[in-house]
Amino acid sequence: MSAEPQIELIGIDKYYGSFHALKDINLTIPKGQFVALVGPSGCGKSTLLRSLAGLENISGGTMKIAGALMNGVPPRKRDVAMVFQSYALYPHMTVEQNLTYSLRLKGVPKEEMRRATEEVARTIGLDNLLHRYPRELSGGQRQRVAMGRAIIRHPKAFLFDEPLSNLDAALRVHMRKEIRALHDRLGATSVYVTHDQIEAMTMADHVVVMRDGVIEQQGSPLDLYDRPATRFVAGFIGSPAMNFIPARIGPDGASTVFDRPDIRSLPIGKKLDPGREVIVGLRPEHIAVGAADGAGMTLKVAVVESTGSLTYLTTEEPLQLTIVMTGRTELAPGDAVQVSVPSAHVHIFDAETERAL
Amino acid sequence: MRFLNALRDGVGFDILLVGAALLFLVALAGAPLVYNVLMSFQQVDMFTLGALFRPFVGFDNYVAVVRQPEFWLVTRNTLIFVFGSMTGQFVLGFALALFFAQNFPGAATIRGLFLVSWVMPGLVVGGIWSLILAGDYGVLNVILRSLGIIQANVFWKSDPAFSIWAVVIANIWLGLAFNMLLLSVGLAAIPRDLYEAAELDGANAFQRFWTITLPMMRPTIGAVLSLGLIGTLQQFDLFPALTEGGPANTSNVAGFWSWQLSFQLYDFAKGATVSVMMFLLVLFASVIYVRSTRHEVRG
Repeated sequence: MSAEPQIELIGIDKYYGSFHALKDINLTIPKGQFVALVGPSGCGKSTLLRSLAGLENISGGTMKIAGALMNGVPPRKRDVAMVFQSYALYPHMTVEQNLTYSLRLKGVPKEEMRRATEEVARTIGLDNLLHRYPRELSGGQRQRVAMGRAIIRHPKAFLFDEPLSNLDAALRVHMRKEIRALHDRLGATSVYVTHDQIEAMTMADHVVVMRDGVIEQQGSPLDLYDRPATRFVAGFIGSPAMNFIPARIGPDGASTVFDRPDIRSLPIGKKLDPGREVIVGLRPEHIAVGAADGAGMTLKVAVVESTGSLTYLTTEEPLQLTIVMTGRTELAPGDAVQVSVPSAHVHIFDAETERAL
Repeated sequence: MRFLNALRDGVGFDILLVGAALLFLVALAGAPLVYNVLMSFQQVDMFTLGALFRPFVGFDNYVAVVRQPEFWLVTRNTLIFVFGSMTGQFVLGFALALFFAQNFPGAATIRGLFLVSWVMPGLVVGGIWSLILAGDYGVLNVILRSLGIIQANVFWKSDPAFSIWAVVIANIWLGLAFNMLLLSVGLAAIPRDLYEAAELDGANAFQRFWTITLPMMRPTIGAVLSLGLIGTLQQFDLFPALTEGGPANTSNVAGFWSWQLSFQLYDFAKGATVSVMMFLLVLFASVIYVRSTRHEVRG
């Protein structure tokens, strides 16, 4: 993967009236990388993508695509392609006309256009649908046409705006792989907006977690999973979500004390100021059940949910935890379980700033 | 009893509803139409006025109407009136619809105010335009003169060269809001992301209009033009208020002429004949419209 940046965002700001939608966004995307922008609705991820496309004007900062300054450049001169959530296929044009729309505008010769259409149709498996209208296609087929319309242009960057959210679950998993494979085959640079962290984790080389117009954290998917910088990222990445418990650092500085005397303290594997207010984060899949080392605590099972391969346990007061076990269990509601967490898997966040410590 | 049962479980109730609507249509539109067509093939005079079956005269009435000295003048005027009005209403209406589709403060409110012209009775509109177009004190002449477009006053309503255009101008104003409103609705129905996709595909504003707006508006445009044709042919109020078809029939059109023949000259057969000719014209246009929408693409 070459390191030369294809997209550079330096200090991007965006205001809607007095609403600060994007706050000092800095992001560099090397050529050929697949970047996912992820976050809850209203976090600014779509605004950022639309700003890249030129559909929104940024209020400040510098935006470069392939080295060229893009501030104020209209969408049609940016040479980027976008796949919309609604697909935005032209309903009055056939699949072929949809695919070749951009080429026709450019005045590409007929013969060349035909070759390009055939190639793209083969790539995305639309060969025998070229003369259909969008309304005659299934959701998955429309999705492909939208992709084909982007591919045929060989743009400098592909922008995806939640392209899979209108598909059913099975197709979504399938298209996920297909989009990623296509990205690799074309050697494209892609920016992919989603609210689904699984999509972001599975597809992207680089994940950008956004919240309230700010980049909370960016990095490789596993980096975000292993070392979340904030409580928000920790809770957002990973499924089921991380358990959070308010606590205080104990007098020894190396373990936590919980407000309730019936919860045992937990070694945290590092030294912190004694008495500091913190939030302890435990991933459901890192909580071991039936610990032998005696360091665990005993909790009562409230709910047992089994998916066959995985079992989800929810424990009762004093400590309500979600626990994921592989395989099956004999446990039933009301049973007592021994749970423990290796100190390497204990995440500690400052209670006030919610930043990782 | 059976009827009540049918009402209760809904069977047959649909037929009742359709039946009521059909009865209404047949009684108030179908029967007069048939009677009108029938009358155009009959000899109608003071002695047979009350009868339904009068002496059959074949196409005599049609021949007589075409041989009327004013026939070709009225035909020409009707064509000018229809195409002039429709073109003006449509082009200006579309321009206004596009203008108000832009996002600016007060766009919706001002667009709403335009509907005033649609709410006003034709006679009132005719009265107002009669004042505006007046030759010696009309405000239009004042404006045109001060802009240097004309040197001497134009007598819009009484100059044979301008009289039909006086009615066309008033009719454009009268139908403008209706056109704008329908076209605005059509414009609003086009998804915004189509424009965004086209913009990213490299289309400039003009290309977006030609390749997205116009084709997507096709059903709306078809409806607006057919309704415009029917409305224009039916226009009556403006004529008595403005020119009464004069001077010397230079602003007379088929609709008003048909009324004059029937209710001023009491030549009901010729009046009916003219209206049947108009009916055929509308029918022809409607068939073309329906055929053009049969293959239309909906998103």
